[in-house]
Amino acid sequence: MNTILTEYETKKLLARYGIPVTKESIAKSADEALDIALHIGTPVAMKISSPDIPHKSDVGGVILNVEREEVRTTYNKIISHINRAAPDASIEGILVQQMAPPGHEVIVGLKKDAQFGHALMFGLGGIFVEVYRDVSFRVTPIDRKDALDMISEIKGYPVLRGIRGRKPANIDSIVDVLVSVSDMAEKENIIELDINPLIVNESAVAVDARAMVEMLSS
Amino acid sequence: MLSSIFEPESIAVIGASSNEMKWGGRILKNILSGFRGPVYPVNPKEANIQGLTTYSSILDIPYDVEMAVVTVPASSVLPVVEECGEKGVKGLVMISAGFSETGSAGAELEKKLVSIVRKYGMRMIGPNTLGIINKSVDLNASIIGRLPSPGSISFITQSGTLGLALADWTIDMGLGLCKVISIGNKADIDDTDLIEYLNNDPSTGVIAMYVEGLKRGRDFIQAARRIKKPVIVLKTGRSKKGARAVFSHTGSIAGSDEIYSAAFRQAGVLRVDTIEEVFDAALAFSCQPLPRRNNVAILSNGGGASIVASDECERQGINIVDFTEETRKKIKDILPEYASSSNPIDTAGTVSYKLYREMINALLIDQNVDALIVIYVHSPMTNARPPADAVLEMKQRNHKPIIACWMGGAGTEEGINILKSGCLPNYSVPERAVRALAALIKHREFLERVKIGDDVPAQRCA
Repeated sequence: MNTILTEYETKKLLARYGIPVTKESIAKSADEALDIALHIGTPVAMKISSPDIPHKSDVGGVILNVEREEVRTTYNKIISHINRAAPDASIEGILVQQMAPPGHEVIVGLKKDAQFGHALMFGLGGIFVEVYRDVSFRVTPIDRKDALDMISEIKGYPVLRGIRGRKPANIDSIVDVLVSVSDMAEKENIIELDINPLIVNESAVAVDARAMVEMLSS
Repeated sequence: MLSSIFEPESIAVIGASSNEMKWGGRILKNILSGFRGPVYPVNPKEANIQGLTTYSSILDIPYDVEMAVVTVPASSVLPVVEECGEKGVKGLVMISAGFSETGSAGAELEKKLVSIVRKYGMRMIGPNTLGIINKSVDLNASIIGRLPSPGSISFITQSGTLGLALADWTIDMGLGLCKVISIGNKADIDDTDLIEYLNNDPSTGVIAMYVEGLKRGRDFIQAARRIKKPVIVLKTGRSKKGARAVFSHTGSIAGSDEIYSAAFRQAGVLRVDTIEEVFDAALAFSCQPLPRRNNVAILSNGGGASIVASDECERQGINIVDFTEETRKKIKDILPEYASSSNPIDTAGTVSYKLYREMINALLIDQNVDALIVIYVHSPMTNARPPADAVLEMKQRNHKPIIACWMGGAGTEEGINILKSGCLPNYSVPERAVRALAALIKHREFLERVKIGDDVPAQRCA
């Protein structure tokens, strides 16, 4: 049976494979949200955490750049959005998350394939992936050389190297993530995975992620 | 062992017939037309077929039988194969259809068939195959009416009819083939088994494939990575869209075709888009060395054709190289004053033997040049033969690939025949010539970047 992991669960899984993720924790109350926010450092991002809501923004479940004094009210605001838009959803709480620093947005994904095992995808995030489909694929497992090829063969590669005054992305840090995701594909029962975006500047961090996994019946 | 199928000592045709319009009649006739070992027809209803003693069961044959071609209806296949096993047959070519290609009942029957094949340790091509050809031993156990000319290209086809029509077409083209394998339902022997076998087959230099879908994808990648011979694949089904966006971006973008492309690339398998490209590339591989890098010189007697070639080079990532100072001087001496001496070279209409010979020599000697495309554009004022003679003579003297393009219809045949006789790949238009060269370059890159293991690549005519 296939199960959808929440963002929080997906990132726990990523972290187990050494992939850097944003600092974050689940709050079950407004007070707890504030505690977590103070611990992480404000401003924070706040996102609904529910296995029934894979597309969080669509239901008003995501609010970014929340300052310290807004955390408690934002908690209640998101809960009321969800109660209105998805009254049947089971809510685990609100994910309080470190705001990601600015950087290059890229996507790293995985898809199980009947013939070849898993396919690993890399591309520039945002509109680049949705409109231009500027992505590269490899069948896993891959090594660092394959990962570097995947990164350098997309059309947008010069963007990552830094053009017109934009800071370059640390390519090595993307290679690390690709190889780790490949490793994960060999060991976990993943049907589909998106890390979107992985934000890359001097280092890389998974800012949002979702996964569908196969639960082995036992 | 797959050699029991491709190089058997003896063959039984089960379902043999006197009627050449029937499968069992046609294939028996084709086998008899070339195969030099003993052939035993099996048919309980006849005593003599096509002049040969006929047995009612394979078990009645008083000699050893290494390979059996089976053409009986699907409903009779299981007992027949059981008998083949008892007889000690090692290889089967299962022409009979009506198995997994017809639905779930057929798939069940196919499972039973495979379990009998495995029980006796036999190997099987098919079922639902149109047969196999091995030109090396003049074995035609297929429905193709004639044997191809000898050559180093082995062709595996998943589509029976299309594949065999193509094989027939290569015969008309004069393309030399080694083996033709209609792979059928792949119930036992599949793509991976065959490329591994062909890799170890000394008479195969190039592997060409028509693929609709692979079995054992990961094994195929692993096997192909170890194969230094060029593997060219036409994989159909590009038009199928990936699954609709449901959960992830990756899921919606990663259609099966994108994944196939990635897998082929990781395996060092050349994926081409058209039937024409499969055989154009195969032809170049079968008779030319690989270029060291991607720097090409283009020589033509017509400016237009060389520009078309240059544009295609640009699209294929082939570099139109700058010549050395020394070469440029030589070219100025050879060419008429008004002709261009930079790459691509246009001789401004002159096509003499002497001029092509000297030009080709100068270009091949240039250390910047890795490969040469020679174009001849026919006109009523010129003769297609002398430049072809020049190419042929110069080809003997070096190890850089030369690709020819003799353009124009009537009047070019004599030149083209000269090129063919010298194993020089010739193409009717510049784009095809350039893409064939691109395939050679791509394979060189695969050898350097993708392939593993230490085997020496085979690449000359058989």
